[in-house]
Amino acid sequence: MFTHLTSNVRTTLLGRDASRGAVLTVGSAALALLASVVVFLVAPTHALPAFAGFLALTAVGWTTHQAETARFVTFVATVSTVLTVAFITVFLFSSAFPAVGAHGAGLLLIPVQDGQIRWFFWLDAVLPTGDSFWNPSSGAYSLIPAIWATVIVTAIAGLVAAPLGLFGALFISEVASDGVREVVKPAVEVLAGIPSIVYGFIGFQVLNGFVQTSFLDDGASFLIAGLIVGLMALPTVVSVSEDALSSVPRSMKDGSVAIGATQWQTMKSISIPAAFSGISAGVILGLGRAIGETMAVAAVMAAGVGLANPLFDVFDASATLTSLIATNYGSASASTVDVLFVAGVILFCIVAGMSVLSQFVERRMEEKLRGDA
Amino acid sequence: MSDAYANETRLVGSESTVYDRALDGVVSLTVVGFALALLALVEVVDLAASGAELGEAFLAVLAVTVGGVAVVGAFSWANVVPVTSDRVRGVAAGAVVSVVVLTAVAYSGPSLASMLGWLLVFEAAVIVAAGVASRVGVVETSPDASAGLLAGVAFAVLGLAVGAAVGGSALGFGSPLWIVVALSCGLALGALTVAPREDVGSTLPAGLVVGALGISIASALLNVGWTWSPQAISGGFTGGVVVPLFVLTGSLLSAWAAAKAREGFGAQGRQYGTFLVINLNALLMLVVMVAIVAFVAMKGVGYAFHGFSVGAATAFVATLPVLVVALGRARTPVGAEEWHDGARQLFRVLPLSAVGAVAALFASVAVTGTELAYAFTYTVQVNREPKVLDTAVSVTPDLTVGTLVLLFASVALFAGFVRRYGSLENVGERGSRVARVRSALPVVVGALGALSVAFVVAGPTPFGVPLAGTLGYGLVSAGALGAVALAVLPATTLLATDVETGLAERAVAVAPVLVVGTFGSLSVFAVVAVLQATAGVVPTVAGYAVVPLAAVVAAVAALGFAGIVAGARRDADASIRTRLLGEELTLSLSATAGFLAVVALHVAFTGVPFELGALSVSDAGSLSWPMTLQAYIPLGAEPGGILPAIVGTVWLVVGATTFAVPLGVGAAVFLTEYAEQGRFTNLVEVATNALWSTPSIVFGLFGAAFLIPRLGGDESLLAGMLVLGFMLLPLVLITSREAIKSVPDEYRDASAALGVDKWTTVRSVVIPAAMPGVITGVILGVGRIAGETAPLILVLGSTLNATEAADVLGGFRFVSTAPFVENPALLGASASLPTQVWAVIAAGVSGSPSMGWASAFVLLLVVLTFYAVGITARTIFRRKLDYE
Repeated sequence: MFTHLTSNVRTTLLGRDASRGAVLTVGSAALALLASVVVFLVAPTHALPAFAGFLALTAVGWTTHQAETARFVTFVATVSTVLTVAFITVFLFSSAFPAVGAHGAGLLLIPVQDGQIRWFFWLDAVLPTGDSFWNPSSGAYSLIPAIWATVIVTAIAGLVAAPLGLFGALFISEVASDGVREVVKPAVEVLAGIPSIVYGFIGFQVLNGFVQTSFLDDGASFLIAGLIVGLMALPTVVSVSEDALSSVPRSMKDGSVAIGATQWQTMKSISIPAAFSGISAGVILGLGRAIGETMAVAAVMAAGVGLANPLFDVFDASATLTSLIATNYGSASASTVDVLFVAGVILFCIVAGMSVLSQFVERRMEEKLRGDA
Repeated sequence: MSDAYANETRLVGSESTVYDRALDGVVSLTVVGFALALLALVEVVDLAASGAELGEAFLAVLAVTVGGVAVVGAFSWANVVPVTSDRVRGVAAGAVVSVVVLTAVAYSGPSLASMLGWLLVFEAAVIVAAGVASRVGVVETSPDASAGLLAGVAFAVLGLAVGAAVGGSALGFGSPLWIVVALSCGLALGALTVAPREDVGSTLPAGLVVGALGISIASALLNVGWTWSPQAISGGFTGGVVVPLFVLTGSLLSAWAAAKAREGFGAQGRQYGTFLVINLNALLMLVVMVAIVAFVAMKGVGYAFHGFSVGAATAFVATLPVLVVALGRARTPVGAEEWHDGARQLFRVLPLSAVGAVAALFASVAVTGTELAYAFTYTVQVNREPKVLDTAVSVTPDLTVGTLVLLFASVALFAGFVRRYGSLENVGERGSRVARVRSALPVVVGALGALSVAFVVAGPTPFGVPLAGTLGYGLVSAGALGAVALAVLPATTLLATDVETGLAERAVAVAPVLVVGTFGSLSVFAVVAVLQATAGVVPTVAGYAVVPLAAVVAAVAALGFAGIVAGARRDADASIRTRLLGEELTLSLSATAGFLAVVALHVAFTGVPFELGALSVSDAGSLSWPMTLQAYIPLGAEPGGILPAIVGTVWLVVGATTFAVPLGVGAAVFLTEYAEQGRFTNLVEVATNALWSTPSIVFGLFGAAFLIPRLGGDESLLAGMLVLGFMLLPLVLITSREAIKSVPDEYRDASAALGVDKWTTVRSVVIPAAMPGVITGVILGVGRIAGETAPLILVLGSTLNATEAADVLGGFRFVSTAPFVENPALLGASASLPTQVWAVIAAGVSGSPSMGWASAFVLLLVVLTFYAVGITARTIFRRKLDYE
């Protein structure tokens, strides 16, 4: 059992037939790395010298047994990447745990306004209620308003990004000539590259004023935040959908054109249905981006927390899950920080779930098309 | 497209009728209306404007339209951009006519809002007329039996909205009656679309909706002063927004319907209609992108460049590499198609003429001594008080060149020329003297190098013997003299040899001398500069430092030789000799750049400016750019800049890249080359993709709660680097894996067939082939994290008005306790560009908007540069792959 295990480890680290010298050098480097990890967890201050030892041993290995050391180094890189991902996940969940234990369902408290329990999709009958939903001094921490704000902003963003994104993808993959595509495609990528804080600053400086004069509102609003976030999610939708449309086999489109269909008929009846899963993956991914967007939302809407009244009032404003974390973390007490971790975990789960879902959808489409082609 | 098709469309198009012209006119009108509504929405034109004021606005639109159409028309006439489509011609003509008519109408008195309203009514009338004409058979069309379910659903939704608005405002949202009105409206419109034949089904509902929108505006039911704020919601609607939105919707609808009718309905009609909408949408996206970038640039550029001044000589040196690039572009041969030829040549030469003009401008400033300045005033907020800044962007007649600028320019030129230089092996007559010099060079360079190492180890006075001051001094002087002799050698040899033969022939003959002279003198200069720095001596002659003086003489000699060769090449007939002379020219130009780099190196090492007549090279150059070269000045008279933020962003990017790139690339190599493909690799892929889409704020949360307590308990640069590194890691991994996967297996098989082991194959075949993809991915990823803000707020803090840049390089200290190395700059908070912008927002009224715009502008510049470089690199690499 034990020898089996060690030989397994040995093959993973060094490949099948490693010399004795290679086993020694790489083994000692591995031990040094292990030691530095242990030291980091026990006494972080001493980790640096231990890590320097690992580097020195690796350097020695690189000169004497390069092939085996290279394999080992790439293996270490893989393991540390995987461990980083796993560690971030575990740490987030464990940090969120105390708040869930302390507040329980109180995190989903439905506010009472004007002596009446606010209607919230019939959940108000099940969930606890209270006068105040966000008051760190009295220990009221309801995430319901922030969740609802995220939903509204994401919905507006989706309404903007999904149709425009589909049209944009159709333009790039089907309508545009090669020369135009060479311009528009990078332009869409550049649109994705504009930092969110720049959007936020434009929203804060210009659009908020516009809303005040043109929509008779007091400035910050879901509408503006949603429009900006939609614009930011647009490039994701365009590029993923465009990839999906381009991956529809040429033979399918050619067949349609050969029987006399126009280009638009081909698009409508062949390309879009065939790429439908890819397009929806793009929309899902875009919505994931919209949910995770922080700075533009934080810049446009102030830090206040409140449930929109009525629920669908797009001119109201409230912090979303992301901007709640961004604006509250600096001045937060320990118990508030715990609640912010719950918000972080919710975000993490939703967005990671959407990402996995979109990958699943995309993969299924690839398999289907491969079967057809 | 072949000519046959062009003729076909022209023949078909020549039969255009009144029906076609009217619909072309409507399509152009909708485009004009769409543009005007957009301008009104962003408040560039006033909806309430009328009379002369409105007429002037329309004159501007007219000028733009006529100009655009005329340019395209001229190109079409000259057959440079042949426009064969009759639809495009019709729309262009329609645009000119409709704008002329609109301008005339504008002067007669109505306000813009009512004009736009009547425009919609007119469009609706034409569309309905077209539909009716088609139905009764006046014109020949090919409609389907129905407009289709898709259009039906779209119109039903539209009808629902119109019904809700009408019913709600007439009956009030209190009673459920408005729902009935809305539903019946939607159903009626949907049925009207689906039930009749396509020509009626796609024009009548569109006409009804557009007409209703138009009448509500034209009848002043909705005008600029109109407001509606329902009790239920906290906001409201004003005419200033609703009217443009109505016009936008109406224009899109009538454009679609008119385009459809223009192509005679049926499959062709639907295609034209949909493509028009798709194209408009794409155009809108481009406009939005350009508008965002332009807007930030417009708002930020003034403050970002306040007090910017640059010496003419510096500016000239900085433009030199660009000039050479433009020259290279202008030299590339154009294709051989007749009329394309001239146009292409023009576009190849245009950049050269532009850069050349700029360079000449700088040179003229230096020669005439008159300053070139663009003065402007700028209002900024200083301590909540508006303050007018008198400032200017200027090119001063200062002839000082900064060391860094000279070094960058000369090294870039040197690298460029050397890269273009091929070889002069086995060319010309190699005398015995040249061979002797060639064999002696390595010995001399090696000895001088060894001596400088000795000076570093033992100090300038080993064992108390002042060797540096004596031996070092002598050797530096002798080395410089020897180097300059080597550099001058080619020119003198060329001029001294037999005058009987032609210049070109002689120039080719001296090739061995040129090669040995250039590379020998460059290496001697380099080692002498190092020796001088290690020995700590600066030999001088008549007040001039010997090394740079010698380098300048060498540069002049090399440039002179280049001039002679260029002249000889001009006269030589096209043959192998021209190619050889071209190589010599490249080599001597690279030598010139190299010698100038030596001058810059000398000044950088010694810190003493080198002056030669009016020209001088100095550490303190003549570039002044307060915004990026200064920190905030508390209570200063001049508002300072954002140097700390720029430095902070640079360090963040450097730190994140050094963390993430080795890990990501290593993992990608392992996962693709070593690990067995299967469940584990798939799992890693899904996990990294999920990590890549994880909201950045979550990373910030992790950094703040996990990293910061373990890195000294305070917001720190190191934590920021690590968090951004975590974010960069998945992207590097994903793109590197893609790149490594896309290396064809044939490469690996070929290598394995030669008996090469796995790692050597990976190192010398797979990784080099995948490198372009990896680099592109890293650049794009860096562009993304450079603008990342949310996690930095949590782990780096947000400092407004930072007064000191983080000194990371100078911050390292060795200590005797636990970590043995410490760096307070790395473990302390720092400013960064994104958090700087956030700080302005967070500061509320005390934040200075102009400062924020300027920071946002610089940030945008940095990020977009990364993107531009990444995208360009990718395009070039892809093209290369396609050609292979």
